[in-house]
Amino acid sequence: MTFAPPDVPLAPLLPILIALLGAVAATVLGFFLPRRAVTWIGIVALLLSAFSMGTLWNSGASAFAGSLRADNVGLAFGMVIIVGALISLLVSLDGAARASLSFPEFDAMLLYAVTGCLILAMSGDLITLLIGLEVMSLSGYVLATLQARNAAEEAGLKYFLLGAVGSAILIYGIALTFGATGSLSFAGIAAAISAPGFANGVLLGAGALLMLCGFGFKVALVPFHQWTPDVYSGAPTIVSIFLSTVVKVAAFAGMLRVFSGALYTAPAWPIIMQLLVIATLVVGNLASLVQRNFKRLLAYSAVAHTGFLGLTLLADPRAGGPALVYYLLIYTLMTAAAFAVVALIQPDERGVEVSDLRGLYYRSPALAAVLAVCLASLAGLPPFAGFMGKYLAFQAAFQHGFVVTTVIAALSSVVAFVYYLYPAALLFIPDRTPAPLPHTARRFTGPVLAVAVVGITALGVLPNLAYAWLANPADWQIQASK
Amino acid sequence: MIHVLIFLPMLAALIMALFPNRLRDEVATFAAAATLLIGVWIWVAGGAALVSVPWIPALGVTYSVALDGVSLLLSLVTAFMSLVAVVYCARRVQSPGTFLALILAMETGLLGIFAARDFVLFYVFFEDALIPALLMLAIYGKQHRMAALLKFGAYTLFGSLLMLVSIIGYRWLGGSLTFALTDLLAHPVTGRAQLWLYLGFLAAMAVKLPLFPFHAWLPDFHAQNHDSGVADLMGTLYKVGAYGLFRFGVSLFPDASEQLRYPLMALAAFTALYAAWIAFRQTDWKRLLAYAGLSHMGLVGLGLFSLEPTAMTGALYLLAFQNVYTGALFLAAGMLAQRVGNQNVQQGGVMTQAPNLSGLTMSLWFASIAVPGLAGFIGEFSVLLGAYQVSPWLAFIAGLSTIAAAAYALTAYQRTYWQVRPPGTVPAWDLRGSEWAVLGAPLVVAVFFGVYSGPALNLIQPAVRALGGLS
Repeated sequence: MTFAPPDVPLAPLLPILIALLGAVAATVLGFFLPRRAVTWIGIVALLLSAFSMGTLWNSGASAFAGSLRADNVGLAFGMVIIVGALISLLVSLDGAARASLSFPEFDAMLLYAVTGCLILAMSGDLITLLIGLEVMSLSGYVLATLQARNAAEEAGLKYFLLGAVGSAILIYGIALTFGATGSLSFAGIAAAISAPGFANGVLLGAGALLMLCGFGFKVALVPFHQWTPDVYSGAPTIVSIFLSTVVKVAAFAGMLRVFSGALYTAPAWPIIMQLLVIATLVVGNLASLVQRNFKRLLAYSAVAHTGFLGLTLLADPRAGGPALVYYLLIYTLMTAAAFAVVALIQPDERGVEVSDLRGLYYRSPALAAVLAVCLASLAGLPPFAGFMGKYLAFQAAFQHGFVVTTVIAALSSVVAFVYYLYPAALLFIPDRTPAPLPHTARRFTGPVLAVAVVGITALGVLPNLAYAWLANPADWQIQASK
Repeated sequence: MIHVLIFLPMLAALIMALFPNRLRDEVATFAAAATLLIGVWIWVAGGAALVSVPWIPALGVTYSVALDGVSLLLSLVTAFMSLVAVVYCARRVQSPGTFLALILAMETGLLGIFAARDFVLFYVFFEDALIPALLMLAIYGKQHRMAALLKFGAYTLFGSLLMLVSIIGYRWLGGSLTFALTDLLAHPVTGRAQLWLYLGFLAAMAVKLPLFPFHAWLPDFHAQNHDSGVADLMGTLYKVGAYGLFRFGVSLFPDASEQLRYPLMALAAFTALYAAWIAFRQTDWKRLLAYAGLSHMGLVGLGLFSLEPTAMTGALYLLAFQNVYTGALFLAAGMLAQRVGNQNVQQGGVMTQAPNLSGLTMSLWFASIAVPGLAGFIGEFSVLLGAYQVSPWLAFIAGLSTIAAAAYALTAYQRTYWQVRPPGTVPAWDLRGSEWAVLGAPLVVAVFFGVYSGPALNLIQPAVRALGGLS
């Protein structure tokens, strides 16, 4: 018997380790340093993590015998995660004090969550995926309850209960899948399914559906979306930025790994996923239509966008994968920026009513312009990048034969346009009795918003800036062939 | 040069913010005039050849633009009327900076629509023009603008998103590598799929033609827009459905166009007559103009859907020049509103106080109701002549709308400008300074192309003939 050393190269782990180090540093140094200093340490850690991901690009490195993969798929999702986390941290520099969240535990929890997200995005088997998901979710529950306020505690509890149910279902699905295929790694599962004489179709199908339900909770697919509006609108706005972007990006990364990779040829789930996506599109968009609170509207819009994002999972991963990452990048920029504007103009953590947006253009032209760009982009109007995201998603689904779903998505976009247009137009309609805007610090939020708007516009006019990096089909010939 | 033409207005709209308030109208006027000059230059040079560079190579989306024939004519009209709009807006609206920027931003979208030779690029410009139009209505609209805005936006998006699905479908099912028009033409989709894709495309074009029953946004859009009529003029220019049908519809979907020829012609003829009938009952100049425009677009549709060369030529001629005189009439309505305080047609006696305004308005109306010797006549006559050969009855029904036009236009005109000015009303002043040019220049164009149609026909006819093979 020979001794085989475990396969633990350091390089593919670096992005995760750096984020984890940042989290530990934030936990420990929080006792000695002021909160702002801790936040800056976190920001530096995130930037270093992104840098290490840059150096790993195209290396295809992996660790723990393929349980952790720093392939381009994972790195692309990782970059988007870092973008969202950076925005959250920078905005919190301005908003945390006002939200009475200005203590280092906020940064520590956020960085732990990012660590989990990165593990999830780079996972190569179901166990790694589950660990990442749980680290991310547990930190997320804490973040949602961090503020001492009834609504936040309610949001956190709801998030925890439903999230825990989702995790439990997911684990059950993992168990059944393992039982059906005898493997936990994505490549192993895919190989087992496509092997001749595979006989456990029913068990596998059940496992796939349970996993779909579990992920459905995490990404807020209808009918598993009920927690979303309460949590996003109940949590402090600066936390909602994080939950609605980074957490969703990571959950979608996991979904792509599982469904477009391991289970790509498994039975049953595509038709159910199609139905869920249609339900999400219809319910998410129609429910947004009747919202009166702007923060809640953004929460429902996050559900609706899950529907559009879900289109890419129905597609061939070679078209759907790049579309998904591109859409998530844009989604992160525009949703985070919209929430950041809310954080600046909200009188309290309940957010702003849609009617209070009236005439914002005449009180604060810059903020109104930023919000208008975000809303136009969310609605999918060119030249903003939201259009490109939608176009890519539609195209990917259409080309894989989901024509009816695509048409439904197009029609529900019309509904989406109406509920984005209403607040966007109100911004520009003069208000006879304007309420004064709260005096809020904008030192960091301002530049973040500027960068986000430039990003939304530039990626809309020149999508190739990001898409060219992602478009290599070989990257997305997901783990199945590896 | 063609890229400068397309993007100069947008650039000017963006850098205008850098200039102090009092200089902004000069910047805008300069940019609009320069755009028109570049357009004329391209015209003199015989058009701009196709330029095609990859935009998103992985997806086959290209940036392909060209200006020839019909596109060039419509671009010139757009550039010309945008200049008129800028000149009028700069003097009419208080602190016009934002308004001017929106006009210019919209001009870029419109020029892009006409220049695009890639299906996705066409879509992008098509939607681009929507944002400034919505902002004009939101910032400068009237009391019930929100309803008008949502209606306008939802109708437009409804059509265009279905078109987007069609665009995606056409390339995929046809097997073309790019979305460039030349590539798509080389890889046509046939059979039933073509019909379905055409219906998706038609949804967008029917909203923007507009065609009954997709016209419901139009009257509110015009009634709620700023009194000056500048936004209405831009809205008129944005009615690009007929152009889209000509450039992409007939060439990419020949069989479906043929199959749907009679139903669509019937719908167009009905639109023309129905709109004229409703126009007759309107008491608001802008609503009346909205329905008058709709009626004209019914005729344009009739000509295009008939697939008959004479009628198509006439339709495009009418499309180009109704932009000129309908647009100018919106500005004339704006001038009237500035003088008497509202858009109501029952003013009475404006002629006695403002004879020149009344005279120019009447001449423009003559162009609109197709009096021979003015541009409207050539277009309408050709449409009816051509359509008659395809379907005499439908041509007859649509022809009734030209009679109705005279009735609604002259009745409304009589109530406003003739009759007696009621006692106690504010005296209306006559045209001043640049207002002469704002109404005069479009009228000169309408007269010139009413008498001498050659230059415009030379642009339209080769393009119509190039469609070839059409009966």
